Amino acid sequence: MITFSKAFHAALSVSLVFVLVLAGCSSNKETNAGTTEGTNGSPNADTASFVLGEQPLEFSFYGHYDWYTMPPWGEDLSTKWIKDNKKVNVVPISSGGSAKQKLNTMIVSQELPDVIWMERDADVEKLRSEGLLVPFDDYLDKYPNLKRWAGEATLDMLRSPDGKLYQFPNWYTTQPNGNAGYLVNKKIYEELGSPSLETTDDLYAYLTQVKAKYPDVVPLEVGQSASGIDVLVSAFAENRPYTYNAMKAVPTGDQLGSIFTDAAFRESIQYASKLYREKLISQDSFTQKLEQVEQKVMTGKIAVFAASSPTEFGAKGNALLKADDPDAGYIMVWPVHKAGLDKNKIFPGDYKQLGWNVSVITKAAKDPEAVFAFLDWFTGPEGQRIIMWGPEGLYWEGTDAEEAPQFTEKFTSDIEGREALMAATVNFQWNGNTVYVDDSKMKFESTLPAEKRSWETYWQSEITWKTQYDTTEFVNLDPAGDTDEGIVAQSIFDIYEKARAKAIMNAASDEEVASILDKAEADAQKAGYEKLLKYKTTKWQENVSKLK
Amino acid sequence: MKLSFGDKTFVTVNYLLLFLLGFTAFYPFWNAAVISFNAGTDTMLGGITFWPRVFSLDNYEVVFKDKRLIDGFVISVLRTVVGTVLSIAATAIFAYGMTKRNLIGKKFYMIFCVLTMYFSGGLIPSYLLIRELDLMNSFWVMVIPGIISVWNMIIFRTFFMGIPGGLEESAQIDGSSNWGILFRIIFPLSGPVIATLSLFTAVYHWNDWFSPSLYISNIDLLPIQTKLQQILNSNIMLEQMSQMDSAAQGRMSSMRAVTTKSLSMATMMVATVPILCVYPFVQKYFVKGVLIGSLKE
Amino acid sequence: MLQTNIRKSQHVFKQPGLTKRFMKQWDIQLMVIPALLFIFVFSYIPMYGVLMAFQDYSIFKGFMNSPWVGFKHFEMFFHAPEFWTVMRNTLVISLLKLGVGFPAPIILALMLNEINNRIFKRIVQTISYLPHFLSWVIVSGFVVSMLSTDNGSLNILLESLHLIKEPINFLSLPEYFWAILVTTGVWKEIGFASIVYLAAIAGINPHLYEAASIDGASKVRQIFSITIPSILPVIVVFSILAIGNLLNAGFEDILLLAGNPVLRDVSDVIDTYVYRVGIQNSRFSYATAAGLFKAVISVGLLAGANYLARRSGNSLW
Repeated sequence: MITFSKAFHAALSVSLVFVLVLAGCSSNKETNAGTTEGTNGSPNADTASFVLGEQPLEFSFYGHYDWYTMPPWGEDLSTKWIKDNKKVNVVPISSGGSAKQKLNTMIVSQELPDVIWMERDADVEKLRSEGLLVPFDDYLDKYPNLKRWAGEATLDMLRSPDGKLYQFPNWYTTQPNGNAGYLVNKKIYEELGSPSLETTDDLYAYLTQVKAKYPDVVPLEVGQSASGIDVLVSAFAENRPYTYNAMKAVPTGDQLGSIFTDAAFRESIQYASKLYREKLISQDSFTQKLEQVEQKVMTGKIAVFAASSPTEFGAKGNALLKADDPDAGYIMVWPVHKAGLDKNKIFPGDYKQLGWNVSVITKAAKDPEAVFAFLDWFTGPEGQRIIMWGPEGLYWEGTDAEEAPQFTEKFTSDIEGREALMAATVNFQWNGNTVYVDDSKMKFESTLPAEKRSWETYWQSEITWKTQYDTTEFVNLDPAGDTDEGIVAQSIFDIYEKARAKAIMNAASDEEVASILDKAEADAQKAGYEKLLKYKTTKWQENVSKLK
Repeated sequence: MKLSFGDKTFVTVNYLLLFLLGFTAFYPFWNAAVISFNAGTDTMLGGITFWPRVFSLDNYEVVFKDKRLIDGFVISVLRTVVGTVLSIAATAIFAYGMTKRNLIGKKFYMIFCVLTMYFSGGLIPSYLLIRELDLMNSFWVMVIPGIISVWNMIIFRTFFMGIPGGLEESAQIDGSSNWGILFRIIFPLSGPVIATLSLFTAVYHWNDWFSPSLYISNIDLLPIQTKLQQILNSNIMLEQMSQMDSAAQGRMSSMRAVTTKSLSMATMMVATVPILCVYPFVQKYFVKGVLIGSLKE
Repeated sequence: MLQTNIRKSQHVFKQPGLTKRFMKQWDIQLMVIPALLFIFVFSYIPMYGVLMAFQDYSIFKGFMNSPWVGFKHFEMFFHAPEFWTVMRNTLVISLLKLGVGFPAPIILALMLNEINNRIFKRIVQTISYLPHFLSWVIVSGFVVSMLSTDNGSLNILLESLHLIKEPINFLSLPEYFWAILVTTGVWKEIGFASIVYLAAIAGINPHLYEAASIDGASKVRQIFSITIPSILPVIVVFSILAIGNLLNAGFEDILLLAGNPVLRDVSDVIDTYVYRVGIQNSRFSYATAAGLFKAVISVGLLAGANYLARRSGNSLW
């Protein structure tokens, strides 16, 4: 053992020397990099605008997701058109399946990509506060699309604490969108006499009936990790989207309160627990993989499917089932509610004006203004038309007064080709313009006879878009993971997950559900929940004042 | 030779158990292969077991048309061959040196090596080192850092020590140098272990997707397994989704929907079958009595 | 500290004859020293990273500018409410994996060795190593669908044999989890791990068997008196290494098979906990502290195992 520790000491001290040497080198580098960046970082507002297509533009793009692979630029119709006509080339940087580590190493070595496409979370703020991002404020008026389509309120919400804008949003919107809700198996529903499915009691009665008559059908499918049960919470209170569950905080007045003591949450878990006990919910809910859910929906082995985005499987399943039997397929129903509540104030899903995620331009970009000019063009009508529906002349020809594309005959006849194009370009939709795209689609759909309309768009316009709640004021409430509040947040998350699963699967009565949730509340308080709620309340109130 | 009753039962039970193991090990692979030959839209319905329901080569067509996957395949092959040859040669020489009883510093050397199996400075220092060595975004970053494997050295050493010492001694008396003994006696007698560790090293190189994902940003240089990993990851991305609003979830899942299960299985097959073919070549070194000739003293 | 170390090492080298002996065996040293230098560069130089455990490391500040905090992260780790659950699970799962997973490939190799039909042997060998090449994502997909309550093949089988009346929710019941995890792991790696033992068996002198069967030893007897003793050095070395690995109870397998949070009390091990709490939240220092704790214990275990193995003459050092 003596030699062992000697060896270890020797090794350690030698490596320490190396550290010092290495650290010396790298810190030198950092300061050098810092000074050079300072000069090219601030854009000069006096210079003329960058005109896309006049000069070539090339930048690197990194999608900060484990699953994201950017398809090769210029190999599909849309990006080829952009490459040829706008002289833009985008070089992909791969996350290689481990995005978090990849970004960390890029930060450490000061080798950031020009554009990072990422969640709108605490990481953006970290990059920003370290001065690694380029603000857009000087460009906003020169390149008008973002300002025009996103609106001042959305941009204000995106602004960082220093009052500047660093984030280019994706699928930002000023009108509701989203697909959360309830999918119903049409054939079973009609065979059971199309009973009323308005209240939670109706739903319970219906599911019991399904179980009795169709033993091999899952009465209520709740998806992977039983996430459909969160959608159900919306039935137990007005204006109560599932987002509050995800936030682990429920607004009451101008304070955020505990999720575990929230009446709607407790009732929804008791309801779900009853359904689970009586085998009205798939017993696999907490373990199944997505593909098993997909299978059940595709083969019509479910009666009701509650999910935050059931339309994707619903549309495919509807087409498959219809092909075999014209009476089969899926419909959607107006979100269920607890008896006594106003059904027009039930919101199973939500949307945020800021959309999904953002692109940020880093100081590594040689000409950040040019990159911004491209992103701005990309989110404008012309860019959106090209990336959504291909170059002009194929599926659309010319535009109307509102710049919406005039779809050609081919748009409805060549569905296969259109879907292939969509598959090739969907992963380039970095800064989608919800209002423009949705309005263009709807305008066209409304000219079609009912049977030709797309299933998805039909239900979106009939139900889902009307029942999604605006939760913009609740963005960015999460603390960074390495702060004190972040550590608490992780504990609360663990307590919540465990309590939720236990209450649904193991509780034998409503009282047991209540006691599991009470214990979770006690554990959460011990872990510092109060502090976290205070942090989130402050953040929320900041947002509220920004939105006013 | 007659077998006793006990021996007969033993042999029968043995065959039976191995057959069962073989079946359970084979089925998932076969099933994945079958799914890769099934039409993607039909696979969604589930229930595919031993044979494709709607036979289709479309998935393979997509895979083979993707220039990036093919490039990745070539990179993987190159990396595996170069990496294995270099690593086995260097590690075997190292291990032979470590078998010498009179090697000065032997104990220190061994502990020095073993510690690295447990203590590691983590990703960031390694990354900075690789960058200082100018190996970033180069093919060699997949080969060089793995040349010496402590684990393999220990196994080599254990096997080398099992070779009868008499052979070495007599060679020494004949005037052979240590290097001469290594190449003329040790290596020729170590067919099975060299074959085995070559296989392990080749499998490691073929399957390693993580280090390229960190050190290589250039998509054209990524091996096929890193690309496969990203495809398989699209199944796990749902975890992060539950925190998002429903509108964003819809956008995200439409991006994922592009890759069907059949297509990922076809990619997996292309990324896996080549390395499977190495084993049968290794097996021929396992034939009993391969060493008899030389062992007769 | 550095000074004293140098002096100490000089002192060692001044032992009479050492330099001379060293020069005499330069050819052997030449086999070893380049490899050691290599290990020094690629493993020891980056090892300064362990210092992160004593800092509040921030990737923006770097090693030089991150504040030093002493043992703060170790204390947090030891005082985390999950610590003892996590330690218990880690040890139980790894001991189960060791107890079942370590002998299994040896037994498989012995069984394969007794097969005379060469074609059958080769086919089984090749097939048994296939699962090693399936990623855990795919394997867990199979396990989940096989154990599913709706149409899972195991439940269907048990029901048709009238062993159970209602499907069992295998992956949601804590009592089944360890068994499922260990079985799946053994199944996945058994074939691949047996290869090295097959290689060891291939080196046994066949005359030993001939002599034994002339003496009338049964097949089972031959296994115990010839095969196992011959491959013992390999078994011992692997068991030392396996004991050193006791704190690595698994990661991806647990992450993917224990999807149900109800299982957390039996499934959470050091690596999954550190991943969830440390790495996903960019708490580098915390993760490093946990890693360093693991490394220290592991080296202790390894040294202990090595000490015990010394009697058999097959120790590492």
